[in-house]
Amino acid sequence: MAYDIEEVRRKYIGFETAKTHGRYPVEHDPIRRHCHMVDDNNPLFIDPDHEGGALCPPSGWLAHYFASLGPWPAVFEPLFPIVPTPGKRIVNMSQEVEWSAHIKVGDHLSVVRRIADVFQKGITIDPEAVWIVAEAIITNQRDEEVCVVRNTLLTHRTPEEVAAANANA
Amino acid sequence: MMQEQVNWDEVDIGDELPEISLDITTRRLFLQASGAQDWYPAHFDPAFARKAGHEDIFMNTGFVQAALVRLITDWMGDGGFLKRLAFEMRRQHRPGDTMVCHGKVTAKKETDGAALVFLDVWAENQREGIATPGEATVILPRAPASEG
Repeated sequence: MAYDIEEVRRKYIGFETAKTHGRYPVEHDPIRRHCHMVDDNNPLFIDPDHEGGALCPPSGWLAHYFASLGPWPAVFEPLFPIVPTPGKRIVNMSQEVEWSAHIKVGDHLSVVRRIADVFQKGITIDPEAVWIVAEAIITNQRDEEVCVVRNTLLTHRTPEEVAAANANA
Repeated sequence: MMQEQVNWDEVDIGDELPEISLDITTRRLFLQASGAQDWYPAHFDPAFARKAGHEDIFMNTGFVQAALVRLITDWMGDGGFLKRLAFEMRRQHRPGDTMVCHGKVTAKKETDGAALVFLDVWAENQREGIATPGEATVILPRAPASEG
């Protein structure tokens, strides 16, 4: 059946997930690992004895991790596996994070995900690539909004999948 | 080591943030997997990446974001607050590259009692030039004598 972008847009734009809660609280060691991948030795983030308490660095990625991506077993979790797309390969093309409050070690984060836009725009290797603009609204245990993460995701087919689809057309 | 605190009053348009440089080595790839917990194979499996149409594996969004966040937080000090960060993953940072992050003050203003500084930030490498352009908004403390 042919992919119908207008049907997908009608069905999914504005869709919002139920709030999900991170399994673990914001913890020191995932913060340390996150900081050390870029040689970030800021005591505000990695010193458990920092005066006033350690903070989570203002990374939307890490906030999202604590709100939803932390549980084991490790599974790559596309932000919106529910949106049907011709291709299953994903590239995150841009991200915007707006912060309202610090995240502290010990906080419990939750997330609501919302689909802001879905559109089709071809790329060199896939003329039917589909782009998804996804928002994640992250809150703490007091239900205070700490940040909103906005991702623009490109989903596409492999060159082999494109060739196979063209051969069958 | 305490981070040195910069005040809004001391910042001038055109000021440059101290750059940070990260070599994308094999060790760094393992640190990325550990630090970002991103198991999408395009970031560590060359065969998967090439089958998807990429030339090689490439660093993920979490890694690039963490580098830009470090650039900004190292500069703004513990008393600063990163209000907004937006960036585009236009080109890739790959093994063998040296990723260098830069930032520059583009504007400053006070709104509703918040002393805002606007930045251009970007990550570049020797193959692609500016691969990740972005912009940020930071709230800085006022110098003590300037506070009402």
